[in-house]
Amino acid sequence: MAEITEQLRAELSEALRQGDADKAEALTRQALDGGADPLEVIQGIIVPALTEVGQLFQEFKIFLPELMLAGEAAKRATAILEEAIAASGQASASLGTVVIGTVENDVHDIGKNIVSTLLSSHGFKVVDLGRDVAPSAFLDAALKEQADIVAMSSLMTTTRPSQRSTINLFKEVGEREKFKIIVGGGSVNQQWADEIGADGYAADAAAAVELCKSLIQVS
Amino acid sequence: MQTNWLVEIVKRSENGPFMKEPDFEMALAKRTAELVREYGLKFDPQVPIPSDDDMADRLYQAGLDLFVEMGVYNQTTERCIKFTRDETEEIVGTALNAVVLGTGKDAVVMRHRGVESDIPCVVHSGPTGTPCTERYHPLILLSCAQEPLVDCLGAGSVSTYMGQAIIPGSPTEILGARRDAAVAREAVRKAGRPGMHINDVAVPLTCAGKMAAIDQDSGLRTSDAVLVSQMVELKTDYDQLSRVAHLKSVGMHIVDLMTPLIGGLGGGAEGTAVVTIACHILGVVLYSASYHMMSHTHLRWVNNTDRMGLWMQSMVAQALSRNTPIVLLNDIYTVSGPGTAELLWEVAAGAVTGTVSGMNQQGAGTTGGFNADHTTGLEARFIAEVAHASLGLTREEANGYALEFLKHYEDTFDNPNRGYPFPELYDEETVEPKEQWLEIYHEVRDAIIALGLDLDGGWRKVRHG
Repeated sequence: MAEITEQLRAELSEALRQGDADKAEALTRQALDGGADPLEVIQGIIVPALTEVGQLFQEFKIFLPELMLAGEAAKRATAILEEAIAASGQASASLGTVVIGTVENDVHDIGKNIVSTLLSSHGFKVVDLGRDVAPSAFLDAALKEQADIVAMSSLMTTTRPSQRSTINLFKEVGEREKFKIIVGGGSVNQQWADEIGADGYAADAAAAVELCKSLIQVS
Repeated sequence: MQTNWLVEIVKRSENGPFMKEPDFEMALAKRTAELVREYGLKFDPQVPIPSDDDMADRLYQAGLDLFVEMGVYNQTTERCIKFTRDETEEIVGTALNAVVLGTGKDAVVMRHRGVESDIPCVVHSGPTGTPCTERYHPLILLSCAQEPLVDCLGAGSVSTYMGQAIIPGSPTEILGARRDAAVAREAVRKAGRPGMHINDVAVPLTCAGKMAAIDQDSGLRTSDAVLVSQMVELKTDYDQLSRVAHLKSVGMHIVDLMTPLIGGLGGGAEGTAVVTIACHILGVVLYSASYHMMSHTHLRWVNNTDRMGLWMQSMVAQALSRNTPIVLLNDIYTVSGPGTAELLWEVAAGAVTGTVSGMNQQGAGTTGGFNADHTTGLEARFIAEVAHASLGLTREEANGYALEFLKHYEDTFDNPNRGYPFPELYDEETVEPKEQWLEIYHEVRDAIIALGLDLDGGWRKVRHG
């Protein structure tokens, strides 16, 4: 594999930070054409650039649109690189698979979308089920995708009982031990997570990324 | 002039441009950023209450452009409901500029107030956004309804029914909604103000649940209101629109609830202000709202008393006051909780900002909604006192007060003082504030009077002329 030039590294990193998906895609292809290791592009350029973007968002120095654009650029670049990895027979670069969604009857998904974007940009494969997700839909997706982690969001105290119902369903069908289940959202705290038997709680998107990383390492 | 708009809205919901929701969000975010640049909108943290009429007018035009160009996203049909500029301007132009809320001796007229207006604010209270337990909910509502300077009551939200979690769409939601409406009705009766306007029961999430709260004898009446929500940003669905259909049919007040997120799809304060103008127009055009509740919050702290939140409240209110006839209501959200001085400084900043900018008052949603039962009537009293004392201030003077008030709490956002639950602050038998909470109240009150705001004379002038 060829070394990636400093200039290309800097340009791709900048395109990702600026959320310029077309440029990021073109530079990624250029890197591959030049013989770059796709894993190195992901781990050495995309993850650090998006980590920086996530940090700026966390500090409120940039806002959701910038985060979304950077996430989209990273997604497109990563898709090309994953294709190259698969073609070469290498193992996937994904840190693990996270099935994520806002629980049944809850239509608030901005927070969940932010977590989803940050997890993707940190190298997780994210299967986003959207909002108002029934317990059985979480279960079906977790089994189908062979997920490592199931992440549930709930903004409201009136919808958070669905997190408990979902965990209970996983238990009832004997699939609970296969997955790490984590919870978050405006109505959720550590006490609630403990009460319903979740494996973890994160107060914000950055904490969710760290939680997923730690759970993948221990699982 | 079109009159049967709901039928037309359904038609456009079925036939408008198809878009996947993430594409709508991205398009909205991009266009908003462009409009901020095109109209030269600029947030200045040193001026949370700007005195810039021209910027207020530019902001309104940016919001109108956004509404006309993007339309409103119907999540049910995945289509954009579009209106022409002419249609929009005509509907906005014919909107109500005053509404009678409540009945009999307890009725109040809530008006379009205007910038630096001498029309007093109508003051709404109740546990807005702060969940309550079944045990303390009746006392919390009574503590608000009995406050003499409070004009209207919000019933808030209790997430259990007889100890069991309420499941949306289930019988417990219907029972919970009817129970909360009855508790609110009982609170205003007990306070000796049976005709006081009740502005919603918050627990139901479905149309059926909301409608179940309506009961002429023991629940919400046509002189009361039900909230119809928007989803962030600039989105609705058939469930919400169906509420409009029923509420209009029975002649009930509709409150347009919007919850724009600062730092969300609109970006920073300027972009979120543009989106919020469009949200108000949505509430006029699609919901035929009697009044508009602006519940913007900071994406991370879930308050609107920071500099961006105050600036947004002020600029949006000024823009709408100068360019529309609609009736505006702020919704003060704080990071702090009751029993703390910080909470009172926060609500004071929200009240002075809203008053000079053209809003009526609602509050307070304390602790960012995180701590149950952390809400009392005393902070609602304080909002009313500050609002009434702020009548006659210029925006520049109000800006000076806001900057002073901010000094007392803005360093606490990352580590807020959540205060205490209701039973620690109020006597459960007499439903009067305990000495510890009153002491803090008087301390902050005296400090604000020392700064020059006439908290003693303000409300007297409003009540007695």
